[in-house]
Amino acid sequence: MRHWTEELDDDADEPLVRPYTITGGRTTAGRDDLTLITLISLVTAQTPSGTDATAERHALQPEHRTVLRLCARRPVAVAEIAAELDLPVSVTKILIGDLIETGRVRARPPLAFAQNGALPDMTILEAVRNGLREL
Amino acid sequence: MGFANSDPAPTAQAVKILVAGGFGVGKTTLVGAVSEVAPLHTEEYLTRASVGVDDLVGIDAKTTTTVALDFGRITISDELVLYLFGTPGQERFWFMWNDLVRGALGAVVLADTRRLETSFASIDFFESRGIPFVVAVNCFHNIRDRAPQEIRTALDLDPQVPLVMCDARERSDGRDVLLTLIEHLMARHPAPQPAV
Repeated sequence: MRHWTEELDDDADEPLVRPYTITGGRTTAGRDDLTLITLISLVTAQTPSGTDATAERHALQPEHRTVLRLCARRPVAVAEIAAELDLPVSVTKILIGDLIETGRVRARPPLAFAQNGALPDMTILEAVRNGLREL
Repeated sequence: MGFANSDPAPTAQAVKILVAGGFGVGKTTLVGAVSEVAPLHTEEYLTRASVGVDDLVGIDAKTTTTVALDFGRITISDELVLYLFGTPGQERFWFMWNDLVRGALGAVVLADTRRLETSFASIDFFESRGIPFVVAVNCFHNIRDRAPQEIRTALDLDPQVPLVMCDARERSDGRDVLLTLIEHLMARHPAPQPAV
């Protein structure tokens, strides 16, 4: 006789847990400043700036710890973290928002341009060109 | 790139380039050819007002769609990381994805000479948004059966938009496509004023 769990493997692509379970049902981030290429880096100070109450409200999920691990070596873009967690970008942003709020990571927004038709700075373009030439 | 000491510092900044084009035109291939890591995959939920042709009366006016994209990374220097986002094949979804489009240096529209019409939507989109782009014709198996001028005409391309032929599988070709875009952006800058 087959055990009922054997059939669960048939649909391996479908996550068994609804994505927003991880965020405690929250579907929107408390902050809207995170973009796909916002770089997230670890705050190395030992004392997180958030209060104990805040920390308690957002007890760390395993996914939070994975984010911390990913940012430990170098700054990592939000999109990369989403890819590693295998979670949608919006869910990932909520988790990162928790870690920013509790002072564990910091976010570096991408350079502001191309939003109003503005051109990127010449020094950035030259740096990208020189970097590409070395590929 | 690829060396331990070339990892970006915590003060690093990120920029991105979009790689657009129809389904199956080789976007992920191009991203993978130049990326220092195997293309990464992520998804996003997009909620949109359903105004499409396939709506059913009585269905809720908003629908949530999952769109997927592949992307790669090139570490330019300690201070600068370039991300390459291959846009999802179905334009009607990612056109609404503001976070994907906003803040891009520019875009590469990848085209296939056998199905040029699959590039029209991306070209229209970047033109209307004022996002600088270049067109890269992916010559599958190095078959160059149509002249660049003929392709330009078929795409009704602005004469100022660069058009290059490439093999999306080749790292050097992918690099040259990106360089063409960067040089196109640099050319748009006004000439530097002489020092007084």
